[in-house]
Amino acid sequence: MSFNLTEIFEIPIGIGDITLEHLVYFLVILAIGITVAKVVSTNVRRALMDRLPKSERELLTKVVYYVIVIWAFVFALPQLNVDLSGLLVAGGIAGLVIGFASQSVVSNLISGLFLMFERPIKIGDNINVSGVSGSVEDIRVLSTVVKMYDGIYVRIPNEKIFTSNITNYVHNAARRFEYSIAIRYEDDANEAIRIAKKVIATHPFALKSPAPSVFVDNLGDDGVNLTAYIWAPARNWWDVRTDLLWKIKQELEANGIEMPFPQRTLTFAEGLEVRTRPAGKDEKRE
Amino acid sequence: MMFGRYMGSFHRECDDIMVEIEQINGLQTYRRRCGGETFERLLVSKTGEVIVNPVEPVNLPKDITDFLQMEFTPMVIEPGASQTVYLKFPVEIGVFLESAKDIEVLDVFAAGSQKYTLYGPPTNGVVARYYRSAVYPEIPLVETFREGVMELSVTNASHEWAEVSQAVFSCTDMKIYYDDFVAATATMNILSPTLAETNFVDAPLQTGMVKSVEIYTARKIPVLNRGYLMEWGFT
Repeated sequence: MSFNLTEIFEIPIGIGDITLEHLVYFLVILAIGITVAKVVSTNVRRALMDRLPKSERELLTKVVYYVIVIWAFVFALPQLNVDLSGLLVAGGIAGLVIGFASQSVVSNLISGLFLMFERPIKIGDNINVSGVSGSVEDIRVLSTVVKMYDGIYVRIPNEKIFTSNITNYVHNAARRFEYSIAIRYEDDANEAIRIAKKVIATHPFALKSPAPSVFVDNLGDDGVNLTAYIWAPARNWWDVRTDLLWKIKQELEANGIEMPFPQRTLTFAEGLEVRTRPAGKDEKRE
Repeated sequence: MMFGRYMGSFHRECDDIMVEIEQINGLQTYRRRCGGETFERLLVSKTGEVIVNPVEPVNLPKDITDFLQMEFTPMVIEPGASQTVYLKFPVEIGVFLESAKDIEVLDVFAAGSQKYTLYGPPTNGVVARYYRSAVYPEIPLVETFREGVMELSVTNASHEWAEVSQAVFSCTDMKIYYDDFVAATATMNILSPTLAETNFVDAPLQTGMVKSVEIYTARKIPVLNRGYLMEWGFT
């Protein structure tokens, strides 16, 4: 008995002109699509493991999976003699409508994905974006949640974050801050610098390197203005800043160096004459 | 000696450091005094042990880094040469509560002061605890509760003369031993004029020393013992 595989493939399955060959091709394309979808979605899940919360990670993985499966299904349909021209027209119009409607959603989604891979900000970072300053509470697929320093919850769309200037105060290991310290003209500026440096050196988080710098910055109206540049760990700089200034002030005062008060030197063209009133006049008024 | 394991009430006092557990009206109280500061906790434990031992010196005044930068007298080393020297490193004291199922950090304190620095550039450098030491050819005398002895073996594996005046260590794999004094053993391998690798060695400096319980173990922080690659030079 002879066995011809080609003839078997050409056997109609009883639905229109569809043969077994068409059906096999349809199923093979679909199987390849499902396999690719599984591989891609598994890798997407793995790639997003540390970047997204589980719920959003699973949602995104499913979206990727079903987009690929639907694409494979549409690609395989012509094997079953299904005319996609009508579907394409309807799909095109529907796509246009959905596209316009979900423009901002998709934009936020894409921006969110870029933020997750570029990582200009991380959860816990202190940032400033579009005038919003605070610490990052959560980075979601569509938006980022920032808790402002006064405790207010702010949700910023990812598109806005992605297209704005992001200032991340803690991205680097260390950052510098500065003080302006004014002393009187009669005080010794070198001594004041020595004392300020000594106080800064005693603070654990005022970094040894880069070394702090204290110098006479300018000669002001009321006194000599010193500037101090101090480096501190980026996540602790505020504590250092709030802690050190008062200690410097106290130490300077303990060494006889004081802050100047606003003062004016008045010069009289014809000199200043001080006259005393006769005592009787005031007594009469009373 | 203050270091060791304690069960129930105890009182240890050395210099200006005091650690004790006492029973007051049936309540167990842990109390510590060091450098004018006091710390107190009530303990509810029937079988727990208290462990007092030296720990990695990167926890005070706040845990912000894992790195320790030791600065020392500059040494110029010939290509291929090795030298073992001794340095003094800062000591912090950890107090742990241990039960059959768990170990927990109760307190960390130190007699000395702390200073931090930045190793590398601000953009991608690391903040490190800073400590300056002289270089000693033999084990130096130390104040047990302030400083420990680090045996550092420096090898110049590069093809050029190298000047070394600092070593940066990742304290996540620091192994500390104690007996009459606190000790650690480390290696520094110079790979090129700007690159060196540092590692801690899990071995006592002298026989009979007891291994410390590490903060990283107690806090269940997973650690890979892979040392630290100094990318920004060692002078």
